[in-house]
Amino acid sequence: MSLQAFNAVDLIEQFKSWKELFSEQRDFLIALDGQVGDSDLGITMSKAFAAASEALVAEGEGAGISKLLRTAGATMARTAPSTMGTLTATGFLRASKAVDGKNKLDANDIALFWRAFSDGIAERGKAKLGDKTILDVLDPVAASLEESVNAGKTLPAAMHAAEEAANAALQQTKSMVAQHGKAAAFQQKTLGLQDAGGTVGHLLIRSMADFVAHR
Amino acid sequence: MKKFLNDPVNFVDEMLEGIYLAHPAVTYVDGDKRCLVTSKVKPGKVGIATGGGSGHLPLFLGYVGDGMLDGAAVGGVFQSPSAEQMYQVTKHIDQGAGVLYVYGNYSGDIINFEMAAELADMDGVQVKHVVGNDDVASSVVGEEHKRRGVAGIFFIYKAAGAAAAEGLPLDEVTRIADKARLRTRTIGVALSSCVVPEIGHATFSIGEDEMEIGMGIHGEPGISRKKMGSADLVIDEMMERIFTEQSYNRGDSVAVLINGLGGTPMEELYILFRRVSQLLQDRGVTAKHVWVGEFATAMEMAGASVSILHLDSELDRLVAAPANTPFFQHVGG
Repeated sequence: MSLQAFNAVDLIEQFKSWKELFSEQRDFLIALDGQVGDSDLGITMSKAFAAASEALVAEGEGAGISKLLRTAGATMARTAPSTMGTLTATGFLRASKAVDGKNKLDANDIALFWRAFSDGIAERGKAKLGDKTILDVLDPVAASLEESVNAGKTLPAAMHAAEEAANAALQQTKSMVAQHGKAAAFQQKTLGLQDAGGTVGHLLIRSMADFVAHR
Repeated sequence: MKKFLNDPVNFVDEMLEGIYLAHPAVTYVDGDKRCLVTSKVKPGKVGIATGGGSGHLPLFLGYVGDGMLDGAAVGGVFQSPSAEQMYQVTKHIDQGAGVLYVYGNYSGDIINFEMAAELADMDGVQVKHVVGNDDVASSVVGEEHKRRGVAGIFFIYKAAGAAAAEGLPLDEVTRIADKARLRTRTIGVALSSCVVPEIGHATFSIGEDEMEIGMGIHGEPGISRKKMGSADLVIDEMMERIFTEQSYNRGDSVAVLINGLGGTPMEELYILFRRVSQLLQDRGVTAKHVWVGEFATAMEMAGASVSILHLDSELDRLVAAPANTPFFQHVGG
């Protein structure tokens, strides 16, 4: 079985998957970020998604997709006020606006979702492509989804292609030099390392692709 | 490190407890001491919120009160408060007329204030931003958007606060705040370092006989480190920077803020003002409003900054308006 469109119940389940994922990946992200940052990324992400998932369960499917995404963003802003927490929160708030009024998210809506998410992070974080940030993964993901929609792909096929794009983009970050955040102080030392924020981006997409494929 | 502390971890919260006990005119919302607001929100008035890291008193929270600000989100020492704290302050002070955010040009504060504005917008609260960038030493002319916000933000608070108190709408209060921003220039000089309580040692080292012109209020590098000169020579060099940026004509009026960074006696600040006043007089410029004291500190850093606001008739009226806040009182005129 696979999922052709997210409804509100699916979305709440997706957040549960993200919560579990970032709980599992917490120590890996701490270690990755610790090489050139301040090691708080794993803590930020596990806290942010745990709180968001619980808030969505509490709110329930009746709130609808847009409101649930807004609650996720607002909850993250409150519980994980570091830069990455705030950026992720912005992503969900923008996604909430992008899918306002919809009660199902098909491939086209999911493309709108990640485009708004990616552009929101770019605007708030003032990062450019190539600066070695989460944007270097999410922008190619949004582009891949848009391409899939134009090619008439279903949601599972589009997410599968997006996951491949995310993985390739993450590998690309190894050849970039960090320009933002605490990692920027390490400059050349960041060469050869995959970006920690980009890793978060890849994990988000991989989880959604798995979810869609097996739901 | 010799400081009056209990546990350094509680530095900010215990400071805030003292503030609330001493100043019943301010209180907090959302059960969070770091969401400081005025105790009496004025119905229908445009709200003005600020925020930023602790370690700079009277900045930022000290100017919440009549004729100035309505709320301040309080961060850890030299750390931005969270977007959620700013949002809670915003929700409380909004009276339907919208809220102006006035804060300094630091990436953490910007990201969080923008996030807070987005949350407020979803609640239908209109928010505008004016970002202080008065420090001439932190970037060159043409790159003003990279400059840090320092003590000159006081003039933005004063002008915008008076405009809001007059009952002007959000667009007008924003226009005035932005004008005050564009007409304010500051330059600082540091003589010694500061100590962040949880770190426990000096942020940077500087020789006994050295000064650093242009250093930021968190110890960010300045433009020149050199042997300490006489007070007059130090001011001559600092004011040169300000005079080359803003053109003052004979007969113009300015407001002057001589700000101690935390570890410099008031007497020395007046010695500095004496020279500033001479230089202004030489140019035929009148120092119409003068404040000498501590307005934006950097913990125990010794040093000072000079801020000059180039007045026009509107700013003259607003800067002169009365204000009554925990750290700043002005009877008007």
